[in-house]
Amino acid sequence: MTQVPDSRHMTATTATRVLGTVALVAVVLMGLLGLVVSPADVVQGQAVRMLYLHVPSIWIAYGAFVLTSFSSALFLFRSRHRHDGGRHHDRLAGSAAEVGVVFAGVTLVTGMLWGRVTWGTYWQWDARLTTTVLLFVTYLGYLALRRLPADPVIRGRRAAVMALISFVNVPIVHFSVDWWRTLHQKASLSVGRRPEITGEMYWTLLYSTLAVTIVASWLIVHRYRVIRLEELRDEEALEALIASRLREDEAQA
Amino acid sequence: MSEVTTVATGWGLSFVVVATYALWVVGRGKTIGRELGIGGREKLEPESDSSKPADS
Repeated sequence: MTQVPDSRHMTATTATRVLGTVALVAVVLMGLLGLVVSPADVVQGQAVRMLYLHVPSIWIAYGAFVLTSFSSALFLFRSRHRHDGGRHHDRLAGSAAEVGVVFAGVTLVTGMLWGRVTWGTYWQWDARLTTTVLLFVTYLGYLALRRLPADPVIRGRRAAVMALISFVNVPIVHFSVDWWRTLHQKASLSVGRRPEITGEMYWTLLYSTLAVTIVASWLIVHRYRVIRLEELRDEEALEALIASRLREDEAQA
Repeated sequence: MSEVTTVATGWGLSFVVVATYALWVVGRGKTIGRELGIGGREKLEPESDSSKPADS
């Protein structure tokens, strides 16, 4: 019997295949609800359909950055209690941050397009837009820091500190529309506040958030597994290098 | 840019960005997995398979 690599089993399991299928179906249904079923807005017309992408994307980005910060804090303060030295938390932080950056990017793109129609400009350096782009850039910096060559534990610690510092901006982005006068409208849905939208729009927005959450979960699980594979490859390469040096030393002796 | 064009561009771009990222993640996993020989499945050699008695 021989072992042959089967590319179908690299990062996927039955559970993630089911999750991936559910995510695909959820996205198709989200498109139907957001683009066909939900009505046009009295004021914004068809442009309101950007709401079903723009708002869930930033919520997912917030959620992903919360997960990054929480995992980073666990990596910094609880890693000595784990048999893997906290690498699990580091991987989770990295994978969540990357997915968060993707959805923060989607938020910026959809927001700019929506702004062109409703405000007449793609970009305005107001509080919400500026803090959001700052959020995007700081987490890009976090991802760049994770790629710097260093000892995995030291690199993980540096990244975890940066993640905790970067997270300070998340509540600033969210509350910027309340704290400063901005072009951006206030939150469509908030805890403890009457929703700005109702009926089909309200339910479509909630459903879209669920669909995007499923997609983001699938992405985070896969990215986590890819980071694990990257670590295994690096460890294997390091072991091969050490073995090669030992052989050279033995030959010279 | 009309409202419909804006919506189509926004949804289209978002779909492309997320789908491209998803394909990159899956592709990277497959590439590294292949390098490591992970995810192997047991496969019988053809000759040993055909020479095996049916009840073994």
